[in-house]
Amino acid sequence: MGLAVGIDLGTSNSCVAVVLDGQPTVLEDAQGNRTQPSVVAFGHGRSVMVGHRARRQMIYAPQSTVASAKRMIGRRFSSSEVTRVLQTTAYGIVEGEAGDARIEVQGRVLALQEVSAHVLQHMRRIAEEATGQVVDRAVITVPAYFNDNQRQATRDAASIAGLECLRILNEPTAAALAYGIGGGIKQHIVVYDLGGGTFDVSILRIDDDLFEVASTSGDTFLGGDDFDAACADHLLALFKEETGVDLSENRTARLKLRDAAEHAKIALSNVEEVEVHVPGLCQGENDVELDLRVGLSRVDYARIVLPIVQRSFLTCDDALSQAGMTASQMDAVLLVGGMTHYPLVREAVFQYFGQESQAGVNPDEVVALGAAIQAHNLTSASPEMSSAVLLDVTPQSLGVKTAGGFCEILVPRNSQIPTATKKVFHTAADDQVEVRIEVYQGESRMASGNELLGQFILEGLRPAMRGDVKLSIEFDIDADGIVHVRAEDLDSGLARSIHIEASSGLTEEEVTKMGFEQLGF
Amino acid sequence: MDPQLRQKFEMEALADVCDELNYYQLLKVERGCEQALIDEAYRAEARRLHPDRFNSNPDKNVKVWANKVYRLFQEAWNTLKDPETRAAYDDQLEEGARRLSIKMRREAEAEAAAAANPEHAAKTEKGGKYWKMALQNWHDGEYQGCVMQIQFALNFEPDNETMIEWKEKAENKAAEATEEKAGNAYKLRIV
Repeated sequence: MGLAVGIDLGTSNSCVAVVLDGQPTVLEDAQGNRTQPSVVAFGHGRSVMVGHRARRQMIYAPQSTVASAKRMIGRRFSSSEVTRVLQTTAYGIVEGEAGDARIEVQGRVLALQEVSAHVLQHMRRIAEEATGQVVDRAVITVPAYFNDNQRQATRDAASIAGLECLRILNEPTAAALAYGIGGGIKQHIVVYDLGGGTFDVSILRIDDDLFEVASTSGDTFLGGDDFDAACADHLLALFKEETGVDLSENRTARLKLRDAAEHAKIALSNVEEVEVHVPGLCQGENDVELDLRVGLSRVDYARIVLPIVQRSFLTCDDALSQAGMTASQMDAVLLVGGMTHYPLVREAVFQYFGQESQAGVNPDEVVALGAAIQAHNLTSASPEMSSAVLLDVTPQSLGVKTAGGFCEILVPRNSQIPTATKKVFHTAADDQVEVRIEVYQGESRMASGNELLGQFILEGLRPAMRGDVKLSIEFDIDADGIVHVRAEDLDSGLARSIHIEASSGLTEEEVTKMGFEQLGF
Repeated sequence: MDPQLRQKFEMEALADVCDELNYYQLLKVERGCEQALIDEAYRAEARRLHPDRFNSNPDKNVKVWANKVYRLFQEAWNTLKDPETRAAYDDQLEEGARRLSIKMRREAEAEAAAAANPEHAAKTEKGGKYWKMALQNWHDGEYQGCVMQIQFALNFEPDNETMIEWKEKAENKAAEATEEKAGNAYKLRIV
């Protein structure tokens, strides 16, 4: 059997790590890069580039270069998240047969699972080249707030890449593991994870080798991309003020502004003021090219993005109240994710929690290191008592739709996993021979306000008076946070396992068909 | 002993008996213990029983057993960690139910099964004991005894429809038998 690695599959950047001789280590590519952009560039025919090379292609061939695939994986085409991404991308996004969002590049339609599979494949190759060993298994991290559909889609991406997914691990939990392992500490910690696309916060109780998540909360649409979007909007307004030209309908110009905004963000983490210069932003009157040239200070930038940073603290409030704790009770603050490099974010976190974050935790690498430790835990042959045990929770409530369109909660959010619960359903009408059960995830009282995970129908029930036929349904959430359902007809004693096929997900058959090994990638 | 082999024996035994254990037994604490002790016990046992600890065991059954045990253990914790649900569970424990959340399922199961096989009609442990004797009496033709045993069983579950139905059946049979006896006696008198 090959090596088991940990992969932090990020929105903007990915990182791979492994435990070598008991030491968690980040693996570098041949050029010495420790992280890789999660960008996939599709060339003519079947050529595909991933990582730094793909990132360079984004400038001149944005229509065939996919970034931020993670923001759409496991999401429906009609979801507001996909609509938002649609406004900022140059490549096509279309609706798949099952209502899922798909990518259209080079005349081909691809599932997002396939795009992410290319990133995973790339990380795997880096690991294989760095270690000289075959890599066939991985722990893959996801935002803690990912729902079942998104987790399942990430698992499918691993299958497509030919990797056995040992575990879908929550990013903040992975970071806590890397921080606390072998330290013999007894602390309550908070992990503030602000990445390229998502924000997560988790409160954990660490007692030596036991890592217990007390609560987790998140916003799957709050991250560095939103900083850039807000800054680009600001630049757009400035340009209009100066030239009178409105670029809000000009896709190419908007992409250029996004790029400029990102560069300004990066530059401002080192200097107090930058000049944003975009030559040839658009064609003005008489085909004269118009440039954008404005000054942007840290103070300006802080004013633009402050509302976004403040949103993250509403999520922190929620996590703390779910854990029944206060900010001052935290023994340590861990900063994770690329966005936490920025002084603006660090300062705001310091203000909120009243303490400096832990030094020595690399926000870009700590998640991959934690994933590698868990991969080692799950595969190491000796069940010695020193290996860590993670007690994680489910981030969103699981429920079923009931009469009147309400959502009845079966597993409340922040319940420890793995867990299972049973519910008995009755027929609601005389001679009813089938029962339809719709499974939802989310906190809304109405089913329609939550995410539909899937639905199934139990047929062939005995015709009888209403309420006479009873079905026992078991809902099981495994350690990956993925939901399994098993139904038992108490009348006939027939048991049926139901795999909830997410209405926006891939079938097993599709996953097999997309397999890279078979396609020769 | 090889630690993985020891794990296997431990989990096999635990998976075998865990259905018979109540929540306190699953957490290895006394029934009246302090709440803080329950939290401590949960953490200690979670360390030991978490399925991840058994992930690399070469015998794949071990993981299946661990998953079964852990879900029950988690159910126990979910109930006992909150003093209110713990109190509700304590009440039920008095009545003989070991698990809280599946009480409904048990009742439903029993009702459905009873239609096909009266053996499963009892919903409580004590009721079941008398119900079993009642059915044995029925089988032996001891209808008077059967009625009596069902009456005992009904003390524990007065709304059990199957039992009420069978009690009527047994009463009729018993009455028939008394009539027969009475008839014989009359005949004897004639002779």
